[in-house]
Amino acid sequence: MRMSNFGYLVRRGIGSVFKNTMMSIASFSVLLVSLLLIGLSVIVAMDIGIIMSNIEDKNEIEVFIYLDVQDSTLTHISDAISSNPNAASVKFYSKEEAWADYQEKYPDKKELFEHLPRNPIPHSFRVTVKDISKISETAEELRTIEGVEKVTAPYDFASALVDIRSTLSIIAGAMLVVMIVTSVIIIYNAIRSSVFSRKKEINIMKVVGATNSFVKIPFFIEGMFIGVAAGATAWILTKTVYESIIQLFEEDKTIWEIFGLVNVIQFDSITWYVLAADCLLGALLGAIGTIISTGKYVKV
Amino acid sequence: MVELKNVDVHYVDGVKGGVDALNDVNIRVNDGEFVFIVGDSGAGKSTLLKLLTREIQPTGGRVFVNGYNLTKLRNRKLPYFRRSLGMIFQDFRLIPTLTVYENVAFVLRVIDKSKKYIRQRVPYVLNLVRLNDKAKAYPGQLSGGEQQRVAIARAFACDPKIIIADEPTGNIDPKLSYEIVELLQDINECGTTVIMVTHNHDLVKYFGGRIINLREGSVAFDGFIEGE
Repeated sequence: MRMSNFGYLVRRGIGSVFKNTMMSIASFSVLLVSLLLIGLSVIVAMDIGIIMSNIEDKNEIEVFIYLDVQDSTLTHISDAISSNPNAASVKFYSKEEAWADYQEKYPDKKELFEHLPRNPIPHSFRVTVKDISKISETAEELRTIEGVEKVTAPYDFASALVDIRSTLSIIAGAMLVVMIVTSVIIIYNAIRSSVFSRKKEINIMKVVGATNSFVKIPFFIEGMFIGVAAGATAWILTKTVYESIIQLFEEDKTIWEIFGLVNVIQFDSITWYVLAADCLLGALLGAIGTIISTGKYVKV
Repeated sequence: MVELKNVDVHYVDGVKGGVDALNDVNIRVNDGEFVFIVGDSGAGKSTLLKLLTREIQPTGGRVFVNGYNLTKLRNRKLPYFRRSLGMIFQDFRLIPTLTVYENVAFVLRVIDKSKKYIRQRVPYVLNLVRLNDKAKAYPGQLSGGEQQRVAIARAFACDPKIIIADEPTGNIDPKLSYEIVELLQDINECGTTVIMVTHNHDLVKYFGGRIINLREGSVAFDGFIEGE
């Protein structure tokens, strides 16, 4: 097709957006809300991932060693722990260090400590895990290592974290599906009404020998134009909403740091990706809606 | 050239069991001819036109138009076949939101003609139908006769081998009807085949020429009559 004629079809498609004002506004609004929610939920999901891994880093298994083990056995135990596939980091915490910390922690019991014949605290290892959902299996495996007396791990906390994460993914996934389906339906309706308002024109086009693609191009342009416009607006809104949420937490930063809410994504670092994703997804949803509506009604 | 060989068209109707719209029809129209197709309502005129534009397929027989075997024509080649035809309708079928100029230019864009060609061709055909001064008007601002002249200009713009006119005088002033047929005759003199379907017997008697009369789905008469 010649560029001049393609340009003409593009102009007709865009012109149609402004001609069918009400349907265009309805599609634009629904797409805008969808893209805003999709954008925010993706960024928040990424943030939750970061927060979870921050929490996981602090989520340690403590491996206590029998009091009478030799230093050579300690090396074996350390190697055995490190070779566990779920062990992210292994830190040795000597009995002397632990005892000093303990005494420091409870200064009022100093007299009691003085009467003890020897240091009652064993050597221990602090192990962080890669996958928090497997924490109980990992703890169980570490307990079977020879020389290990006891293993403690925050099982309940770990399973609560896993539950929160999977529930959030299900909610976000369901929301995304609903929003995408709604967007496609509304675009479908907008384009269908545009097809009906131009029925006469389409009929003439068919009579004089227009190809299917020639008839469909303006509708594609119309659907995709609405999609891209909604995408660009969604980008601005996503930035505004996300930055206000972050601002909200920034005010009480120290409190949230306890919960691991640090190092969350700064919008500026992903701004161009969000813009591209919003516009592409908007155009894609517009195109899908157009394919469905014109496939049925525009046939030579 | 148009050729119908032993063509039958049977419309399936669940209640009545079906209607025979055309029965063993044989017609041949050579290049450059001007043919009137007449007949009462239900005689099969509309079915015949739908066959020629490949809106429908015959239930029996074969249809050839401009070298295309329409019974075997694939859907993706249909647009290219239709570009070899010019269609004129009783209700004009102009796009009301486009000017006269744009209505004609529109079909040239559809068949992917260049900007330069469109700029030369549109004024030429508008001049042919004597509507150069109405180029910027919208169809709603024109009389019925003028609208039909725009439709003729549009049909002729693509330089088709055949022009098919379906009751072109049906919606216009009887006096202006003669003008429309004269215009079609002018186009015919340039070498374009013209097939015109009409109800208007006075018009046919006045101009004369080749007449095909359809009656109950069959060709009742195919011959020449003298004009008045």
